[in-house]
Amino acid sequence: MSGDSGRAKRWRRYLRLGRPNARADVDDELAFHLDMRTQRNVALGMSPDDARREAEQRFGELDPVRDVLVDHDARRNVRTERAELLSDLVHDVRFGVRSLLRAPAFTISAALTLALGIGANAAIFSVVHALLLQPLPYARPYELVSVGTGSAAEYLALRERLHAIRDLSAWVEQTHPVDDGQEAVRVEGAAVTVNLISMLGASPAMGRGFTAQDAIIGNNTVVIISHGMWQRRFGAARDVIGRRLLIEGMPYSIVGVMPPTFNFPNKQTEYWQPYAFEMRNVGLLWAVGGKKFIARLAPGATLDQARREVRTVWPSLRRQNPLWDPGPDYARDATVTPLQDDIVGSTRPLVWMLFGSVLLVLLIACVNVANLLLARATARERELAVRAALGGGRGRLMRQLVTESILLAVCGAVLGVAIGAAALRGLVSALPPGVPRADEIALSLPVIAYTALLAIGTGLLFGIVPAWRATAAGSSVRSVVGFGRRATAGHSHARTSAVLVAGEVALAVLLAVSSALLVRSFAALRATAPGFEPTNLIAARITPPIAKFVKPEKLSSLYTELIDRTRALPGVRSAAAVDKLPMAQSVWGMALRIEHQHEDNKHTLPDVGHLQSVTPDYFTAMGIPLLRGRAFTDADRADALPVAMVSRSVARRFWPNDDAVGKRIGYAFDSPWMTIVGVVPDTKQDSLRDTLATSIYVPWEQRTRMSGAEMWLVVRTTEDPASVTTAIRRIVRETNPSVPVSDVRTMSAVVGDSMSKTRFTTLLVGAFATLALLLGAVGIYGVMSYLVSQRAREMGIRIALGAKRADVVRLVVGRAMWLAATGGIVGIAAAIFVARALRQWLYGVSPSDPITLTAVSVLLLGVASLASFAPALRATRVDPALSLREE
Amino acid sequence: MPRQDTGDLLQGTLGILILKSLVPGTAHGYAIARWIEDAAADVLRIEEGSLYPALRRLEDRGLVASEWGVSENNRRARYYSITAAGRKHLRNEAAVWLRYSQAVTRVLRTEPAVT
Repeated sequence: MSGDSGRAKRWRRYLRLGRPNARADVDDELAFHLDMRTQRNVALGMSPDDARREAEQRFGELDPVRDVLVDHDARRNVRTERAELLSDLVHDVRFGVRSLLRAPAFTISAALTLALGIGANAAIFSVVHALLLQPLPYARPYELVSVGTGSAAEYLALRERLHAIRDLSAWVEQTHPVDDGQEAVRVEGAAVTVNLISMLGASPAMGRGFTAQDAIIGNNTVVIISHGMWQRRFGAARDVIGRRLLIEGMPYSIVGVMPPTFNFPNKQTEYWQPYAFEMRNVGLLWAVGGKKFIARLAPGATLDQARREVRTVWPSLRRQNPLWDPGPDYARDATVTPLQDDIVGSTRPLVWMLFGSVLLVLLIACVNVANLLLARATARERELAVRAALGGGRGRLMRQLVTESILLAVCGAVLGVAIGAAALRGLVSALPPGVPRADEIALSLPVIAYTALLAIGTGLLFGIVPAWRATAAGSSVRSVVGFGRRATAGHSHARTSAVLVAGEVALAVLLAVSSALLVRSFAALRATAPGFEPTNLIAARITPPIAKFVKPEKLSSLYTELIDRTRALPGVRSAAAVDKLPMAQSVWGMALRIEHQHEDNKHTLPDVGHLQSVTPDYFTAMGIPLLRGRAFTDADRADALPVAMVSRSVARRFWPNDDAVGKRIGYAFDSPWMTIVGVVPDTKQDSLRDTLATSIYVPWEQRTRMSGAEMWLVVRTTEDPASVTTAIRRIVRETNPSVPVSDVRTMSAVVGDSMSKTRFTTLLVGAFATLALLLGAVGIYGVMSYLVSQRAREMGIRIALGAKRADVVRLVVGRAMWLAATGGIVGIAAAIFVARALRQWLYGVSPSDPITLTAVSVLLLGVASLASFAPALRATRVDPALSLREE
Repeated sequence: MPRQDTGDLLQGTLGILILKSLVPGTAHGYAIARWIEDAAADVLRIEEGSLYPALRRLEDRGLVASEWGVSENNRRARYYSITAAGRKHLRNEAAVWLRYSQAVTRVLRTEPAVT
């Protein structure tokens, strides 16, 4: 009697359609009382009116009582509701824990599957968070923008003219030998305009920041050092301010120490020196670019405003250039980007791709767990039916099942965070060099929060469908009656899980195709000839301090001695030096004058290739063959006729029908013509991925005044280069102990590093794809096992009717194949679509590469048949007699 | 009978009367009122409206429980029942009340001492 209304009330609560209505209940109760009393009075012989009046009189004042009761009941309802929700939750959690513990095999496999998915996600999300989401560690980072790169003159002009920008700064990275009186090492630093540090909202922890005075030539021998350098090299001495630091052999006076939190442009930066403008050196001001401009937007200015302004102002500087006409395309692509985007740059799509991949893996894991739950729901059908029959409404049951799923997901997440932490350590150590903000990657609080969210989300995701199906009204009635279970409910469960598995296969195929395309790109990349011979080639970076080598002859004799002594080493075939090593540094392009074609530097000059100064044996050492003319010799000295060599495409571009040898080219500024003496093939300069570079080579002895003192030794050895590397270090030390040597590596390693991002991506996506395929295989195995157990009777009958084992195997495996094929087709279609987004990672392979698609299809069918083989064998072992007797 | 006169007395005794009325079994508010009316033989006339706040107080203290049900004449009615705690409370209070009333009775029957 009380059940119905109680249940209705509970339903209302579950469905949140409304809460128990205190006012209506109180009115009912009091009306009942008055009516009963009135009835009794009538029975005692009163007139209805008198009876009513008497009843009301006995009751006393109605309204105050009513108000007190309504108020009281309303409060109590809220309290009970809360308490019941809580106790329901506690009960559900307890129930969930118990029922998970009762099926340890299921729990462990589901939790592990989830842990893999969630762990991979936690690890990759750490990267996403550190690189893309976490704001830069500067004051009001959202105002900071990058305005591209340019020359000192452009900087000065832009700073004057831009109004959407509050302050414009410029900086260049520097790596210089730094000497504190004990040891000479190559240290990374930056030359910054004096306003940069304060623009970022930072100030030194000790000493002072830069002032306008520091930007004046002659006053600029001051330096601010990092917290790290202060600790390591100065033992955190309190009196460090005013001490001397030798940068490139020149004394700088330390004026400030930055706090440990200041990492600009990155953590490796150990010192900042003020950038001083040589206002009288017009060539230096205009011709040397590469300064990075960063700015803080003016209050209220938007990125768009700044962008529009830069797009009109910068190209207008074309006419300001006193040296040459930079052409109509000058600064046409000038733009403003948020500093964070600029810093993360090309790593951004990589991170998103990895994030997408792990999300797919997680989705697949969810499908698998959903399938496990479906199979389990079938096994638990009777339990659920009994619970439903005992008055647990569908909502209540579903809530219980979903609670169970979320519990499972939470277990998975806890395990997953552990896996993620381990994976992250591996990930960070495998990170390709040069990933920005890599030191900020950590399993931080937001990552944990994301993981928690993921756990609840996945719990709902994989829990709701099975819970819905398991509590479907029809199925429970059938099972209580114990009839038709196999035939109907089982079938529709099987259909649901078949759809899920096909979807899972599609996702796995999507990942597998992406991964296979990347692998093929990587293989193609590795097979690409760089234009030089990287095996048995060693490079070493020599960074002489300029102050000690002011005289060119001194620098020449240093390198001559180094090269001669290296060449004399056993196992060394040739040795040379180059100012910019291919694949290690970007080699800049140059506007050039071409005799009889582009001579007047007031007009547009063609931007030609990469300029490198090399010693005579460079081409021999690198294994670059000579196509025409001659290579440089020792006779091409500073006082000899200026000469140059060009690569094939330069020759073809300017002298398509003629011999380039003997023609003359020149720098954009006033300088003597250089006669081309030889032609070599094009080589890859920046990375294997780039198109072949057009190159100009000049003898190092004839280098321009702008060249630095730093050079790379390149040494060709007969065989194992390992013994030579130590010898090179020794030779440099013996020749001049104040010259740091660094980056002594084989050229194969240098080339390998230029592919490191590709390798990293390929490796990770490959790992995710493997994981996805494995999970897919588990999914197929699960659904086929289930199918076989559901249709054991049918199999038995088939066998009894004379079906051969092979027929049964074919039936089961065929069904799995069909499943895999359906999913596979969807997956491949999706992959062809998605692979277009992958294009920038692909090299030498089309997004719809038939070989890849075929290979993945074959692999998929192989996996599907393997995964279904065990269930198929089990089907053949069904005892026909047994299955006929059953039921 | 003006309310003021019995107010304090009723605060304490009404609860006991209600609990006592529920000892035989569950009852709705009207039935409780009728029982008190019969048992007290109109000596203690209570304002029936005050019954309900008293019931809420008892319920809040866990001495009675309530549940919606259907009455003998097929109407939705709220039924009250005494809890174990309610029975215990009733026993204690009844003992105190009896001792108190006996004492008062004895005092009233004693001849006043002449001073």
